[in-house]
This record gives sequence, C-alpha cells and structure tokens, in this order.
Amino acid sequence: MRSQDSDALPISIRGVTKTYGAVHALDDVSLEVKSGEFITLLGPSGSGKTTLLMVIAGFTRPDCGSLKFGEREVIRTPPHLRDLGMTFQSYALFPHMSVAGNVAYPLKLRKLQKAEIAERVEKALETVQLGGYGDRRITQLSGGQKQRVALARSIVFEPRILLMDEPLSALDKKLRDQMQIELRHLHEKLGMTTVYVTHDQREALTMSDRIAVVNKGRIMQLASPRELYERPANRFVADFIGDSTFLPVERSGEQVSYGGMPLKFVQAPPDTPTLALMVRPERIVLSSEGPREGANNFAATAVEVVYQGDSYLLHARLDDGTLIALRGGVRGASLSALPNVGDKVTLTLAPEDTVLIDGSEA
Amino acid sequence: MKHKMTFTLVSALFATTAMAHADDLTVASWGGSYQEAQSKALFEPAAKAMGIDVKQETYGGMSDVKLQVSTGQVTLDIVASGSGSAARAGAEGMLEELDYDVIDVSNFGPTLYSKYCVGGDVFSTTYAWNTDTYGENGPQSWADFWDVEKFPGKRAYRNKVAGALEPALMADGVAPEDVYKVLDSEEGIERALNKIRELRPNIDVFWSSGAQQAQLMKDGEVDMTTGWNGRFDNAKKDGAKVAYSYNQALLDYDCFAIPKGAPNKDLAMKFLAEISKPEYQDDLPKYITYGPTNNLAFETGVIDAATAAGLPSSPENAAKQLPISLEWYAKWETVASEMYQEMMTE
Amino acid sequence: MQATPANASGLRVDEKLERMKLFGLSSPALLLVLVILVIPVGWLFYVSFLGGNGQFSLENYQRMVERSSYMRIFRTTFEVSLVTTGLCILIGYPLAYFLSQIPPRIANLCMITVLLPFWTSLLVRTYAWLVLLQKQGLINEWAMALGLWDEPIKMVHNMTGTLIGMVHIMLPFLILPVYGSMKAVDRDYVKAAANLGASPRRAFWDVFFPLTMPGLFAGTLMVFILCLGFFVTPAVLGGGKVIMVSMKIVSNIELFVSWGAASALGVVLLALTFAILWVASRFLKLDQIAGGGH
Repeated sequence: MRSQDSDALPISIRGVTKTYGAVHALDDVSLEVKSGEFITLLGPSGSGKTTLLMVIAGFTRPDCGSLKFGEREVIRTPPHLRDLGMTFQSYALFPHMSVAGNVAYPLKLRKLQKAEIAERVEKALETVQLGGYGDRRITQLSGGQKQRVALARSIVFEPRILLMDEPLSALDKKLRDQMQIELRHLHEKLGMTTVYVTHDQREALTMSDRIAVVNKGRIMQLASPRELYERPANRFVADFIGDSTFLPVERSGEQVSYGGMPLKFVQAPPDTPTLALMVRPERIVLSSEGPREGANNFAATAVEVVYQGDSYLLHARLDDGTLIALRGGVRGASLSALPNVGDKVTLTLAPEDTVLIDGSEA
Repeated sequence: MKHKMTFTLVSALFATTAMAHADDLTVASWGGSYQEAQSKALFEPAAKAMGIDVKQETYGGMSDVKLQVSTGQVTLDIVASGSGSAARAGAEGMLEELDYDVIDVSNFGPTLYSKYCVGGDVFSTTYAWNTDTYGENGPQSWADFWDVEKFPGKRAYRNKVAGALEPALMADGVAPEDVYKVLDSEEGIERALNKIRELRPNIDVFWSSGAQQAQLMKDGEVDMTTGWNGRFDNAKKDGAKVAYSYNQALLDYDCFAIPKGAPNKDLAMKFLAEISKPEYQDDLPKYITYGPTNNLAFETGVIDAATAAGLPSSPENAAKQLPISLEWYAKWETVASEMYQEMMTE
Repeated sequence: MQATPANASGLRVDEKLERMKLFGLSSPALLLVLVILVIPVGWLFYVSFLGGNGQFSLENYQRMVERSSYMRIFRTTFEVSLVTTGLCILIGYPLAYFLSQIPPRIANLCMITVLLPFWTSLLVRTYAWLVLLQKQGLINEWAMALGLWDEPIKMVHNMTGTLIGMVHIMLPFLILPVYGSMKAVDRDYVKAAANLGASPRRAFWDVFFPLTMPGLFAGTLMVFILCLGFFVTPAVLGGGKVIMVSMKIVSNIELFVSWGAASALGVVLLALTFAILWVASRFLKLDQIAGGGH
C-alpha cells in the first residue's frame, strides 16, 4: 500500500446539474477537490449530497456538466471503469462470500496472481485491524467489523480516489467516535483523495480538510471546518453547523447595532443588504458582575437551567423576547453561581466572538 | 392418484348424504351425452312407471365399486359398465348375481347378458375416416385402415388394449372367427402388437376417450381413427366430415350391474327388469345411435327401418361384425394391457 | 452457603408451563399433519404390498421390474419434468429479472399477467393450447396465412405440445419465488460490484445471480416436483405418446381394480423424489439455501 500522496488524483466537478422532473437534485454544482484532500459533503437529507457522490461514482447520470479525475474526463465513463474505492451506507458486503472473498473480489477482477491477492487481502485486513478474520462469514460480524471490512475492500486495490457514503451512520456513538479518528489516520496514511458524505456536522468537523455544505442541490459554502464554524457564509450554514441564535441588527454606515446598542466587533461584516448577529451558545458568557467593559452586553431573564454533566445549558429571554441559549462550563464554583429561573442576568459577548453574517434567509 | 381418490371419497360422501333422505335407488353411469340418452330413454320413464325416485350419479368405473365393496360402504344400487370390466368385477366377487327370473331376457341376443350384468345397449368399435380426405368410399376393412399407401394420412388409435388387438389381427389377415383363437396366447397378442408397431409411425394420437375421437375427427387433426360408432354419428350431427363402416367392426355392449351389498338390491333388480323391456329400449336410438339389447324393441314400431338399418345391432350390421369375447378379456386383459403399454412406451 | 434464591422453583414451574402451552398450541397442527400426511402416505405404503387377492405380496413391485414399460414411464416422467423445469428456468429467470428491474407500478401490472393463468382452470388452459397448436389450430392457420410455413407443423399430440403446455402452467411457480428473491437483493450489492471494477456481466454472475439462488432453487424444486405428478396436460397434449407415472397410476387402477398396483407406483415415485431431494441437498446445502438469511 502506498503512503505518499503523489498518486492521489484531484477531482474537478464543473456545472453538474441533475433534475428529477421539476426538482433540482443538483443545480449547477462546481467543486474542486485537491489531490489527497479529505473533503466532506455535508447537508440535510434530500440536499443532494448523495446524488453528487453518486455522480462521482458513476451511478447517477447527470443532465449536464463535467467531471474530471486529474486530467481525464470521466462523466461518460461507466462505474466499473472509474477505478475508485467506495463504501456504502449499507456496507454492501456480499453475503455469499467470506470476509477474505469480499476483500479479494476487486483484486480478482483485476486478475492478480493468487499469492499476491492473499497477501494484499491480509494486509488490507490488518490495516483495518481485522487481521485473521478472512475466513469469517459476513453474517458473523458486528456492525463495526462490517464497516472495517467494507473499508478494506474499498482500499485494497489502491484506488486513487475514495468515496464514502455515510459510512458510520449505522454505528453507535462510541464506536462512531473511535472510527472517525481511525478513518482520519487511515487517510493520512494512505493519502488518497477522499470524498465523504455525512449529515452529521460533528463528524464532518472532526474529519475533514474542507467541508462543502450542500442544500437544495447547491453548495452553500466550501471551507475548512474552522472557517465554516467561525465564519459561516449564511444563516443556513450557521444554523446547520453548530447551534446558534440569530439576532436582528441594523447597519448604518460602519456602525452595526442591536436594539439601539452599537456592537463591538473585530471581523468586518459581509457586504449584504441585511445582517444578523450569530450567537453560539458556547461563545456567549454569563457575567456575574453585570455588564462588562469592552464587550457586548445583553440583559435577559433566566427561563430554564439544564444540567448536562459536562456542561450546563441556560435558556434566557432577551428584552425583545428572543430566546437565547448559553452553554457554560461546570468547573470550580461556576455551578453554585448559577441563576435561578426568573433571575435577571447579564450575558456578554466578546468582540472576537461577535460574528455578523448575511441576514437573509435561505 | 390422489385426485382420483379425493373424487371417489367426495362422491361417496355425497352418496351417503343422498341416501339419508332418498330411500329409493341410486344409479351411476359415465356421464355426458351417453348418460343423458340413458336417462331420457330408460331411467326417467322407468322410475315414473314404478313410482320411485332414482338418483343419478357419475362414477369412475369398477375401481369405485371395488372401494365401496371392500369398505362395506356401498351406496350405489346400479352401475353402468363396459361388458368386459363387469365380467371381471363379477369374477372378483364385487357384483351381485342377477336374477333372470325377475329380469326377462328371453328376447335378448344370447351374448348380451351374463351372470352379473344385463346388456343395456349395443355399440360398435369401428374405424371412421374424414370424408374430405377419402370421400364417402373410405377404407372398408382393417386391412385398408393399415394400408397407408392406398389411404395415406394420419391415424388415431386407442391408448388401451380394449378393442385394439382384434383389428390388428384382422388387418394381418386373420379371419374374424379365428381372432380370439390366435389371441389366446402371449405370442398371438405379440403378433397383434407387432402389427400395431408397423402402423405406429402413422399413428399421430393414441386417444383415451370417446369425446376425443369426435374432437380429433371434427378438428381434422387425423384422417382416420378407431372409435365408437355413436360418437361419430354425434360428431357428424355437429358438422364433422366423418363416415364409418360396420364391416369387421367389433360388436360390444354396455350393461348394468348391481354392486355386492347394494342397499336396495331387490328394488334394483326390479328396476333392471323394467328398463330391459322393449318399450324403454326402443327410445334409446333417438338420443344416441346405440342399439337396444332386447330384440323386441325393433318390433314396437318406434324404431323406423332406416334407423334400425344404421344401428350396430341390426341383424344385417351385426352379421358383418365380430362380437367381443368376454371370456378372452376376463382371461387376458391385464397381461395384454401391460404388453400394450410396453408397445406404447417404446 | 447461598441462601435459597427467591422464587426460583416457582419461576422454573412457570417456564415449564409456558413450554407445555406452546406444545399444546402446536398440537392441532401436528395432528393435522399426522392425519392428512402421515396416515395417507402410510396407508399408501401398506396397500402397495397387497396383492390382487388382498394378501401380502411383492407382485406390485415385481411387475415394475419385469415389465420394461414401467422403467420407460419413469424415465419419461423425469425427462419431461427435467426439460420443463429447465425451460421454465430459461424463460422464467430472465422474465423475473426484467420484472424486478422495471418500475414497481408497471412490474405489478406485469405480475398480474403472469399470475392470470392461476385464475383459470388447468383443464381450460390445457385445452386452449390444444386449440392453438393443433394441425388446423390458430397458430398453424395464421402462420400459413402469413406464409411463414406451407404445411401445418405438428406441435401437439407429442412431446413438444406437452412441454409447451407444462411450461406455461409451471412458469408462475418459478417466477414468483425468483422475483421475490430478486426484489430482496439490495441494489447496493450490484453497485458495489461495479464500483470494485466488475462489468455489468461480471456483477450479474458474481453477485446478483448467487444472491437469487435461494429463490431459483425453491422455484426449481417446486416446478420439478409438481411436474412429476402431472396428469391432465400430458394426457391431453401428449396424444397418448407421452406417458407419465400419474397416467399409469390411473390406468392401473382401472386395469387391476386394486389400489395396490397404483399405490406401488406412488410409493416408488415418492421414494425417487425424496432421493433426488436428498442428492440435491447434498450438493446445494439445502438448509442453508432454504434458510436464505443474509
């Protein structure tokens, strides 16, 4: 197996459109995936992310557009000649073949020598920590093991591109967290260009080099996890990734104010007709000493306090009636200082955490 | 097998329930246009005259009687049967002996009644041809039936041994009166079978029922077939281009028997006496061209001369024919059947 | 040292009672099987050893060995059944595949057409074929009118007609289970095969076909076994030249007027069928396939 990423191929998607009747499953989508990059297509169900993946794999024929692996145009190439690895949400492990049979299948199709097949199968199984499992039947495996076999099968023939369709969705949370890290390590080790589809934003943030947020057949934003979280391009992205409350703000010249109160901010707001203040629960702070100098202060009334073990969640109502969420730490004395329901509280937001985004819906 | 059994059981069940309220007679026959003719000419008028209720059924032959007799659940009082199978069933003790003091057979032909079975109608097993293919002057003997050069065309033949060996021997040059002598050994039977083997390439269909004979001729599926004269007449009435001859035909009869242990044995005997009378028998030819067994039926004036001349049992026609030998069938039928089956499956 | 666990004996009794109840509930079914299956077959077996005089005898079996026609009849029966089954697979499998690939709404419509023959009597369908296939039947007349052939072709009253009729009647029995197993195959399997580099043909033979084997096997077995007992169709369309065991059973009942002669044929047919099943299960791991579970 390869460990340098020089073999990986970039993917270039240009102007791909796919309609089903009047519905645009994909609406003029363009996306450049760099060689060796781990990119995630993130979106709600029905957003078009899986359709895009199926276009790349060759199982869905778009109405128009271009798809290149490296320099090669493949939009009209049938799936079996595209030479890319893929894992399916259902794993799609062949139940009538053993574990080794499944992993060996792509190598048999490529007419490799028996000895080499055996060697590479065992190596691929070791890579996914299933060394010695070759003789097992598929039905004898647990969900996590099936996932690993599917992965081994998709990488054993050293494809230069790997597609993964919600590979972890069927696993329980603990296993999922563990597999996320493993997949990430595997990607670092093998270095193939990877397109990953998920609807789980945390998974996307954990694993990706870049994330393309997809909605209604379009890419809403393509950015690194951090940029996506910190500087969402619009309310959809901000809402979909992480929790947030949006507060209406007015702009007059350079000045942006909320409820008459001028806001202090660091990042320049986008040049859009309307703006909104995005407040993340973990960025806004409960101030025990009242309004804080050099920050944006909001007066509110505590509505509900929820203890969640590793943190607490405070719901408070601002004076204009907006319900806002605040997540706080439980370290030290902070728990004993929690307000009671009905208490007047002051919430503060540092200028660095004051993010102004495009206020329009959609 | 299962089907057959179910059928039998179901019919037995029906018979049982019927018996519960009908105290008179249950008569079983073969169904179809044949039983219809029997019903109109014999059963209904005779029942009326005697003032009894007669329930009619169809049955699957002597095997049904055997089941009833062997289980002691006899529900049938009278069954219509081929003469041969009745003779065998009688020999196996499945039938009551008939009382010819009650049934008057003094005017029956001497071969048309036996210890266990009294004749009901006379019919012929003969050969018929398509008049489109051969005109009215078709084959006039079994030798002609075998002669595929003089009469080219496809044949149909019976799928069972009954009435199948005698024609072959006659075609092979055996005189009618010697046929049963020759057949009285396995070699003789084999000789007849070899003659059929000779014709076999020209036999398209081995028929299994009277209805099938008529259908084969009507549809022009074959040009020539063996079969029962009444069926050909009925097919002709339906527009089939068919003619037949009595020359060298086999004269046979159907008869009525009483199963051993029949619930109404005495009444059944009286009923058989009634339907054997000429005044019922003379009506039979109205419905099917089978002749009466009681010679007096020709003298009641109901059967006109033209009809009489066309019946198998008219003296002129009967003279051209070979009467079936019940003794031969009782002795040889099972063996000959097996040998016939071997010829068929070759 | 341990104290008696609370309620241990009571709970054991409950468990026992529950098991007895379960047995009690299934006993009507067991009884039914006994009455409608075991007893008749046992009776059949017993009767087959009764001679014409009602005494114990091997004559019914002896006859089968001595007379060559029996062997030929068994051979015809198995030949006809095998060929019919083979033709059903050749026609039915692609048809089921087609049905499984088209949109469900159209597939359901087609399925009704496939099942339609089930709603008409076997006898009617068989005679319909006679009308179609005979010398002056519809097919010959149309073909000659269209100039396809000049002389009527003999399509019935022989093996050809028998096979046509039997295949037509048996086809749904093959299509139904095969279609069922095809619908149960996750489309991801074929996609996965393609993704791994399998051409459509390879993907079909390597993945799709093996996964539909349980259905195909069930259908094949059903068709084959049903064929063994066929009576009406070969009797009507075979022209007396295709003689199968069931027909011989009937003629033996009439001929020997005894159940024994016919029962022996039934027993031998049953035994041969079991033997074939046994061999098939050896080769095809029947239980695994019948279990079918992925």
